[in-house]
Amino acid sequence: MFTTDLYTINIGPQHPSTHGGLHVEAVMDGEVVKDAIVHLGYVHRSVEKIAESRTYTQFIPYASRLDYLATHLPTLGYVQAVEKLIGVEVPERAEYIRVILGELSRIASHMVFVGSLAIDLGATTGLIYCLRDRERIMDMFEMSSGQRLLASYMRIGGVITDLPEEFFPAVHSFLDDLPKMIDEYNGLISGNEILQARCKGIGILTSEEAMAYGVTGPNLRASGVAYDLRQADPYGIYERFNFEIPIGQRGDCMDRLTVRIKEIEQSGHIIRQALKEMPVGEVRGKVPKVIKPEKGKEVYHRIESAKGELGYYLVSDGTEKPYRVHVRAPSFVNLMVLPSISRGGKLQDIIAVIATLDPVLGESDR
Amino acid sequence: MSLTINDVVFAFISGLSILSALGVVFSRNMVHSALFLILTFLGVAGIFFELGAGFLGLVQILVYAGAISVLVIFTIMLVMSVEVGKTNLPNSSMSTHLWGAYFAVLLTLALGASIWYSELPQVRGLAVSDAVGSLAGLMLGNYVVAFEVAAILLLLAVVGAIILARGVEEE
Amino acid sequence: MENWFLNIAHWLTSWLVSLGLAPVWADLILLVVQWTIIVGIITLNVLILIWLERKVAGFMQERLGPNRLGPFGIFQTIADTLKLLTKEDIIPSQTDRLIFKVAPMFFIIVAVMLYAVLPMGQDMAVVNLNVGLFYFISVGSLSTICILMAGWGSNNKWSLLGAMRSVAQMISYEIPLAFSLLGVVMITGSLNLSDIVQAQHNIWFILLQPVAFVTFFIAATAELNRGPFDMPEAEQELTAGAYTEYTGMRWALFFLAEYTNLVAVSALASTLFLGGWQGPFLPSWLWIILKTYLIMLVFMWLKWTFPRIRMDHLMSLSWKVLIPISLVNIVLTGAGIELFRWMGW
Repeated sequence: MFTTDLYTINIGPQHPSTHGGLHVEAVMDGEVVKDAIVHLGYVHRSVEKIAESRTYTQFIPYASRLDYLATHLPTLGYVQAVEKLIGVEVPERAEYIRVILGELSRIASHMVFVGSLAIDLGATTGLIYCLRDRERIMDMFEMSSGQRLLASYMRIGGVITDLPEEFFPAVHSFLDDLPKMIDEYNGLISGNEILQARCKGIGILTSEEAMAYGVTGPNLRASGVAYDLRQADPYGIYERFNFEIPIGQRGDCMDRLTVRIKEIEQSGHIIRQALKEMPVGEVRGKVPKVIKPEKGKEVYHRIESAKGELGYYLVSDGTEKPYRVHVRAPSFVNLMVLPSISRGGKLQDIIAVIATLDPVLGESDR
Repeated sequence: MSLTINDVVFAFISGLSILSALGVVFSRNMVHSALFLILTFLGVAGIFFELGAGFLGLVQILVYAGAISVLVIFTIMLVMSVEVGKTNLPNSSMSTHLWGAYFAVLLTLALGASIWYSELPQVRGLAVSDAVGSLAGLMLGNYVVAFEVAAILLLLAVVGAIILARGVEEE
Repeated sequence: MENWFLNIAHWLTSWLVSLGLAPVWADLILLVVQWTIIVGIITLNVLILIWLERKVAGFMQERLGPNRLGPFGIFQTIADTLKLLTKEDIIPSQTDRLIFKVAPMFFIIVAVMLYAVLPMGQDMAVVNLNVGLFYFISVGSLSTICILMAGWGSNNKWSLLGAMRSVAQMISYEIPLAFSLLGVVMITGSLNLSDIVQAQHNIWFILLQPVAFVTFFIAATAELNRGPFDMPEAEQELTAGAYTEYTGMRWALFFLAEYTNLVAVSALASTLFLGGWQGPFLPSWLWIILKTYLIMLVFMWLKWTFPRIRMDHLMSLSWKVLIPISLVNIVLTGAGIELFRWMGW
């Protein structure tokens, strides 16, 4: 009898809650989202192409810019891929340092997630609380590497230098305060009625759909699939640690939030175990000055980054520069489900969905 | 009779109402017309105030200027598909002009005659002590049936509108 | 101290009359003077209020808030105002210019008009209107149109969405707002705000009408477009909603008007529920200021704690929760009043 006209609005690339240069073209019927089209590429810096004109070592800082919220994880994935390619032994202590810093990065990334979800839903104070706690991690990164955000600390065959003495009391006191912080998030953010009303049952991603799209990381686990590369395909020394994989039931925005808050807790456990077992010794293995892998050798290495499966595919042509570097960016893959899970929701829901998919645009536009 | 403040205020308010009423008719843009209509409503409310009927004036503002005009604007926005500046064009056919003139003359005569021949009791200076109370007494006392029937009618209209709007989703 | 302002007003009128002016004109001049003073106080107060809001936000978020300009950063808002005043006035080319320009002016006019009936102290209402409360509600409803004008005139989808939301929200929330006030009106038997204050001589209405106070408070938050109900602005979704296209002083006028509304509604809340200007020791005008600020602090507390509610939840909260509750409250109040009469108290 009546028909309404559809109209499009462009959420982004300049918009307060698109987490960078994300552009979502939303086809709207009033306040209801009929369709959402994701446009990527606004922060494309051709990182993969740059890698082809840099030596293997020179690419490390570029890798840390992929996921700038969890700076150690993308560099870790890259150096481990190169180590696999040339076959280098990594000293024990370096492995433990990698785990500690990697899990701290994961915590930092998830804290930004919780805070940015809060502010995307309009709760400014939630963001500030999360950033306040993340600041302590940033301070630890600064102690270890001199850099807060983009610490290129990982090296092929280990890490650049041992952790300084003042790092250990800092990380211990941080871990002691972690339960208190999580209580605060649960009280202020995930325990809030309004936030629950805006997250429960919103943006439901079923486990079948998640696996069909190749969604990984906390987003997949929120859909009820206990798939974590740290246990499914352990890299480094991860098989030595005991930790649980938190999973959600319904795969809605609330599950994606609670899974990440629980993961912060689990990462804390891993760091505690690592600190306890950490041996003394060298932090850099024997690596040739000039890295020239065999010609035609290729390797794929994947790690569980804060956003999901972060994979590096390296192809060598026998020179000191890689022939091809491909990054399997979890944010890119995870963003692809945005249209299907935001369809039929309200305009305000799509904001929550973007926030809970936790894309980092430096990674999806590489 | 000397000019009092009341007369000045009345002249100002009625001038405003007439001008904005003309604006309603002559604006080419229908949204502008609707906004002028709000000004007219406000002018009418001002005349109510001037006559000492504060409550009625406020009802005029709340219901007409605050709510009904919003509905008018919404309706205009929702159904409008042509360019905004051409939504309220004057009618060009001669016969409509003639009909319009005919009805205008008829209306003027009817209104003028009714004002001329009715005996208006002198109310100036008679302050109504409890206007709200007596209005309430009439509405919920003598005329309660009519009042409630009107309310039920409006309720039915609301339900009908909801059913009509829901029909869109099913299609 | 109690009668400072009244004495000044009396002195001014008698001085004007002694100059040979007719008392009517003297009253008119007094009205203009009162009005100018009110506008001045509103503007100054908004400067303080914005500073206070930032300080409160800072306190809640473990930050310092503005602290550079003057003691405790008190001059920060003045600097911001100067910046806004000197900014370029941008009017996008595709806007409906007339509406675009008029909307902020109307908004601030409507906001200031609310102050006409508020009793700022004993015998200190500008107009002691016998339907003062009703005046407040009906004039307050006009601000809807101003936001609608801003949203429509901007010719921007975000703005229009913001305006539509604002209208839907305000029309829904006017009903529980008015209904929750009816309980107070029924007890007092008057719509005159001064009478309502007088009626609270023995007991504040917040104790007699706690449900009405809560519904009023929620509905007022929605009417004021403040968080968690700041739909029309909704920065994270609609960029700036109805105000997206506004810059410089035009935008500042909206901001000013919103804070003006905030003060007016807080003053109304303290008048209706917290005994208005009544209180021991201090002069009446100081009491109303204190109570108003207390209510405003609660508004700020809410805003800086809660996330934004979703539009449809907002509507169902109004229609399915607040309106039934306030209706029940009216019935109970009526029954209570009858019971009191029957018992002969």
